[in-house]
Amino acid sequence: MASDVFNKDLRKKIVEMIHHSGEGHIPSAFSIIDIVAHLYRNVLKVDGKNPRWDERDYFVLSKGHGCAALYVMLEERGFITKDDLMKKSKSEGILGGHPDATRVPGAEASTGSLGHGCGLALGLALGLRIREKDNKVIALLGDGESNEGTVWECGLVGANLQLGNLCYIIDNNGSAAQILPVSDMEKKWESFGWEAHSINGHSQKEIEDVFQKIRFEHHAKPKVIIANTLKGKGVSFMEVHGPWHAKVPNAEELKTIYEELS
Amino acid sequence: MGGLRDTFAEVLHELGKEDPNLVVLVGDISHYRLQPFAEDCPGRYYNIGICEPTIVSMAAGLSKAGFFPVVHTISPFIVDRSFEQIKLDFCYQKYGGNFITAGSAFDYAALGCTHHCYGDFGILKTLPRTQLVYPASDVELTELLRQTYNNEFVTYFRAPMHGHSQKFSKGDIIFGKGIKIKDGKDLTIIAVGSQLETVLNARPRVKEIADAEILYIHTVKPLDADLVRQSLRKTGRCLVIEEHSVYGGVFDDVLRAARDLSGTRYSSIAIPNEFIHQYGTYQEHCQRLGFSVDGIIGKIKDELL
Repeated sequence: MASDVFNKDLRKKIVEMIHHSGEGHIPSAFSIIDIVAHLYRNVLKVDGKNPRWDERDYFVLSKGHGCAALYVMLEERGFITKDDLMKKSKSEGILGGHPDATRVPGAEASTGSLGHGCGLALGLALGLRIREKDNKVIALLGDGESNEGTVWECGLVGANLQLGNLCYIIDNNGSAAQILPVSDMEKKWESFGWEAHSINGHSQKEIEDVFQKIRFEHHAKPKVIIANTLKGKGVSFMEVHGPWHAKVPNAEELKTIYEELS
Repeated sequence: MGGLRDTFAEVLHELGKEDPNLVVLVGDISHYRLQPFAEDCPGRYYNIGICEPTIVSMAAGLSKAGFFPVVHTISPFIVDRSFEQIKLDFCYQKYGGNFITAGSAFDYAALGCTHHCYGDFGILKTLPRTQLVYPASDVELTELLRQTYNNEFVTYFRAPMHGHSQKFSKGDIIFGKGIKIKDGKDLTIIAVGSQLETVLNARPRVKEIADAEILYIHTVKPLDADLVRQSLRKTGRCLVIEEHSVYGGVFDDVLRAARDLSGTRYSSIAIPNEFIHQYGTYQEHCQRLGFSVDGIIGKIKDELL
């Protein structure tokens, strides 16, 4: 419920952008926004004025449909502008329903089809290790995405190569449970040989603590954070599966959403 | 028969020593052949596992990190199984990389259809930023790899086990350029990759019925349309022979390249739109499908003269 929600302003910004664009996945962005905000504010070394900076850390949004959360953070860090947000999904804009990394400064991967970003992140982490560079690689996957076989291929390969400079975050927002449940996520990843952590993905303290704890280092277990989240977190009537997945709020609904986020 | 796989390992070994940005990923194939590369290029050789789509995605990640990745396994596991990874992780995101097969369309004749790939050129051709080559001799593989491995495109090397015996010098091999093997005036035979051997074997009998011009194509995309048009303008008759599905191969591109040349007659020898359910040898498959001297003579007599 709204009482324990932080990042209300970012949520409002997401809703405003999607309302304006007429397209988007609000609940999928709401489940990850608290984590993505923490990454861009406190974890990732990035420079909005120099998107291809060699020393940057890499964030790959493997569940591309959560891109509204990425876009508002890229705007906050100066990669893109408010005007870009307002042109989302318009023919003259650079932002769409899934990110196109060839057009969006700061977006590290073009994702949308699930089970791709995780493998690209794996190769990137390997490449940085070959170069003996310390840049972090963090990829955010969905629990629904975890139905894809490639996610588990990556699980095997990441552990076998000991890519300790790589961290996956699984947005465990209950989507898979509606489709093909992926139970005991933490145990599964541990059994694959990853250093697994479970957190409440909407708790500022737990998010901070886990990133304090994790050490990015070469030749160590890769890390995975199971972030237990709520799809639509922050707006009571969106905290359900189904009707709001890709729904765009009308003016009346927008007013109610803003009230809840006040 | 190892075919070009030994050459492939040797060229990569040389290139790897020259260029610290070359990284090789395999899906448990050619592992022992690549040990010299692994030894001399530490940290740049990985036998990733039996997980080809992930290997391809990882290769895109390596490309993002500034490397020139080479992915190597049997063609269906690259093209069919990992098509979406090539499409989205490489082509869509504009990363460059190299895919080198072990074998041509049905080189694994005895292993059956799971290890065949008849439509690789056809489906990869649809992707923007792909370059498709079919080097069927050592010098072609060496030169084409050297000329393309570090560019910004996805380059697919269909490296057959059964090459041809035509001798080319290094200077003959230019990416994107076909080669005229022999001048002629009555008809043009366009041989693609390995099937040049069949055409060479057919020369004495072809000579009895026509003065054939012979063109050789190692670069399937982009096709050397100028060379094809020049020849067809002269001969007005064309036979394409290629180990590829009847759909999407070089023949289609020849027709497209020459669509405004009126009066030209065409024929092709290709793989019918069927699975080859028989086992046996490569040579038996060739005989069965018409990749033979008799097949060539039959097509010329029945459809072109």
